[in-house]
Amino acid sequence: MLEIKDFNFSYSNSPVLRGINLNLKKSEILALTGESGAGKTTLALAIMGLLSGQASGSIIYEGRNLLALPQTELWNYRWNKISMVFQDLEGALNPVLTVGKQVMEPMLEHRLLSIEKAKEKTKKLFKYVGLPEGFCSAYPHNLSGGEKQRVLIAMALSNDPEILIFDEPTSAVDAITRLEIIKIIKKASQNKAILLITHDLTTAYQLADRAAVMYAGRIMELGTGKEIFKEPKHPYTRGLLRSYPTLSTTKDLQGIPGKQEIIERGCPFQNRCTQKIADCGKKTPRLKQFGGRQIACLRGGIVSLLEGENIFKKFGETTALKGVDISLAEGETLALVGESGSGKTTLAKCIMGLEKPDGGKIIFQGKETKERNKELYKDLQLVFQNPRECISHRLNVLETVMEPLNIQRIGTFNERKENAKKALKNVELSASDQFLGMYAHHLSGGEIQRIAIARALVLNPRVLIADEPTSSLDASIQAKIVKLLLKLQEEKGLAMIFITHDIALARKISDRIVVLLGGEKVEEGPTGEIFAKPRHPYTRDLLKTAPNFSPETAYLKPPKNRPEGACVYASRCAEAGEICIIKRPAIFKVGMQKVRCHLYSRNEKEVLHAVNTNRNHTVSL
Amino acid sequence: MSAKNLSDYLIAFFIIICLNFLLPRTMPGDPLAAIYGEEALLSLTPELKRDLAAQFGLDKPFFEQFLFYLLSLLKGNLGYSYHYEVPVSELLLRAAPWTMLLIGSALIVSTVLGYVLGLESGWQRGNSADKGLLTGLMFLSGFPDFFVGIILLLLFGVSLGLFPISGALTPYMGLTGWSLIKDVLWHLLLPLTSLVIAEVSAIFLLVRSTAVTVLGEPFILTAKAKGIRKRHIKFRHVGKNSLLPLFTRTGIRVGHMITGALFVEIVFAYPGIGLLIYNSVMARDYPVLQGVFFLVAVAVIVCNLAVDLLYRTIDPRVR
Repeated sequence: MLEIKDFNFSYSNSPVLRGINLNLKKSEILALTGESGAGKTTLALAIMGLLSGQASGSIIYEGRNLLALPQTELWNYRWNKISMVFQDLEGALNPVLTVGKQVMEPMLEHRLLSIEKAKEKTKKLFKYVGLPEGFCSAYPHNLSGGEKQRVLIAMALSNDPEILIFDEPTSAVDAITRLEIIKIIKKASQNKAILLITHDLTTAYQLADRAAVMYAGRIMELGTGKEIFKEPKHPYTRGLLRSYPTLSTTKDLQGIPGKQEIIERGCPFQNRCTQKIADCGKKTPRLKQFGGRQIACLRGGIVSLLEGENIFKKFGETTALKGVDISLAEGETLALVGESGSGKTTLAKCIMGLEKPDGGKIIFQGKETKERNKELYKDLQLVFQNPRECISHRLNVLETVMEPLNIQRIGTFNERKENAKKALKNVELSASDQFLGMYAHHLSGGEIQRIAIARALVLNPRVLIADEPTSSLDASIQAKIVKLLLKLQEEKGLAMIFITHDIALARKISDRIVVLLGGEKVEEGPTGEIFAKPRHPYTRDLLKTAPNFSPETAYLKPPKNRPEGACVYASRCAEAGEICIIKRPAIFKVGMQKVRCHLYSRNEKEVLHAVNTNRNHTVSL
Repeated sequence: MSAKNLSDYLIAFFIIICLNFLLPRTMPGDPLAAIYGEEALLSLTPELKRDLAAQFGLDKPFFEQFLFYLLSLLKGNLGYSYHYEVPVSELLLRAAPWTMLLIGSALIVSTVLGYVLGLESGWQRGNSADKGLLTGLMFLSGFPDFFVGIILLLLFGVSLGLFPISGALTPYMGLTGWSLIKDVLWHLLLPLTSLVIAEVSAIFLLVRSTAVTVLGEPFILTAKAKGIRKRHIKFRHVGKNSLLPLFTRTGIRVGHMITGALFVEIVFAYPGIGLLIYNSVMARDYPVLQGVFFLVAVAVIVCNLAVDLLYRTIDPRVR
């Protein structure tokens, strides 16, 4: 319905919008989101023809370029075809005119209706947005914020436009009104094209058919609303989502490092991006199709650092890993949870090259790792479960922490020493000469573990695999270490595989969770989703055992033998049926999770068992 | 109008009455000397002095004096003019209508003119029209009102002989009806013009700056987006909002104008309050000055009250 092509706009030669390509479709809501200063409102005003500055490109509506039209002709489009709900609630209404008059004004101004009919229509519009008719004669100062917002919407609808722009319609209203406004927008969207500008990501998620994320005057990511906010692919979008508190995310809030700056050359986000490469400073990325959505990133969005495919590992007769797939993206935390013996540590060791897998392959930073070498450990580090065993009693603190630098031959001795000291301070340890000279047997378990973490971080690795790194620490030290790791992730894009049996901890630090049981991945999904809707019976049981202050004590049956060719949880599963003992379940996609469980099988026979078990469990597909 | 606002005005009124009572009594020396002046007292016999003191109640205790003063005020007794030898109230009643006519019309003309020009100038901010108006009016406002009066008097009254050079109407003509009105307006025109020239630029600047501010308000953008014609934006949206500070200012201006008219009235020998003040000062006629002070204070209070009431009708926010 409206098409924006290669649109550029600048105020007195400082560019505000660059290379915008967007189109609005009838009966569709396009959400435009991003930090303030990204140019969202400017784009809206440009569509309205209300900007004075240097514009190039075109905004095409009904076959005509609105940018080329003189003001007198634009007058016909304003409010009749394109109208807008302005952001500034307090200022957008004239304080000395009744709101009814202001809603009526455009109908009379464009000579669409007689005064009587306009009055009637105004009343109808007030009803439409959920305001009593009597409010027509109220003045703006008589109304609450939510009521003003409704008046503004009624006003925007007065001439029944085809295109409706909402600028932050929910930012100044309370939660209840917000829902009402969302309802009204949805209602209005039935036969109109809607551009919804909002930094409220949940509103965008609830309303948008498509969403565009803007940064520094450019569109960084464009795709369907549901996908963009559930699975961001641009580092900027992910940063926005991580800074935005919602009830459906459980991970601690993280921001985006740095601030928006004017960047002449290269990617506008380069100064804040944790996966920047040399090219990012030279070439400006354009929106390109990457798997169902458009991303403006030279690296094709968030890069995958680690891929493990179908990893097998046997120890004699026991199969420790039965074909596990794993992936880890830049700046992501993946929590590997599961009981002892589930294969978590083995998987970590296989990835690290400390155990040679019996099948499958492991790709690290785009290259398959066949054997372990020095190069690999520059970017990949591990913190072990038992610190006393992994720190040599022959080395003092300084030598221990400096060791990776020595091996990789990075810097002079003094530089190495400084780096080591910094790493020690980061983990809340002393960097005094006295402490540097101590040996492992002088130190407490907590101190040794922190030394191990310092040693792993001294190289600034891209990926850290941490095997129960905080289980031997006091809760207060654990909190500090976890915060440090998350800070490193925010600032440097550190990716982590966090192996833990502490579900509560995993909930606060991870983006994604993989639940392992008996060497198999039984469930995988975004952390918030897994906690909100655990799908696999084992996951459900596991969540019940997580630390909480509830007076009830959960009980989980101890593991029993697991015959080959059965579900790994069959012997303990309260919902298990016959099929679970006979057949190993395949992996099913349920919501945002992948679950290895027969409950979710589409095959009728298999579903049957789930119905037959006759338990109070809704099985949603 | 809330009771609170009304009581505020009553309090202000009471304070003025008290000040009018206290001021002469706080002056050093004999109160009679303060009222009538040293020269007048010299010619008085002690008996006359005693009589006068008794008449003013000056031989009574302070509180009784205050009550006596209030009672005389209630009766409309503002004292007796030593110079004119008539009651002060009579003098004031004679002069006040002329001043009201002069100031009232000057207030209206300067406000309307300043508003229209200011709105236009603010709307066309930066244009040649705006620059021309701004420069012209700033230039005019540089002249004091009496100077403008003298120039007008010399040019149109003396040299060209188009207008009368003194008074408020042609004496001894016994004019009535329409010809009286014409005569009054004819006399009024020059003093009115000088007052308007002196006053208009302040209003112009106020309205212009308000209009410029209002033009930056988001609701103006809303109106533009709504496709409202420029003319309608200018009057309906900018114009109405620019009225608000103008009203406030007008209330304050009244008091200032009454005294400001003094010079113009002297220049044109216009028989208003200003001329009365001048003559009374010359004659040290303190009772008359006290009366004028009282009248001006009351007038300012009444005007502010009126502005307050009017403001309510144009700004819904203070209703």
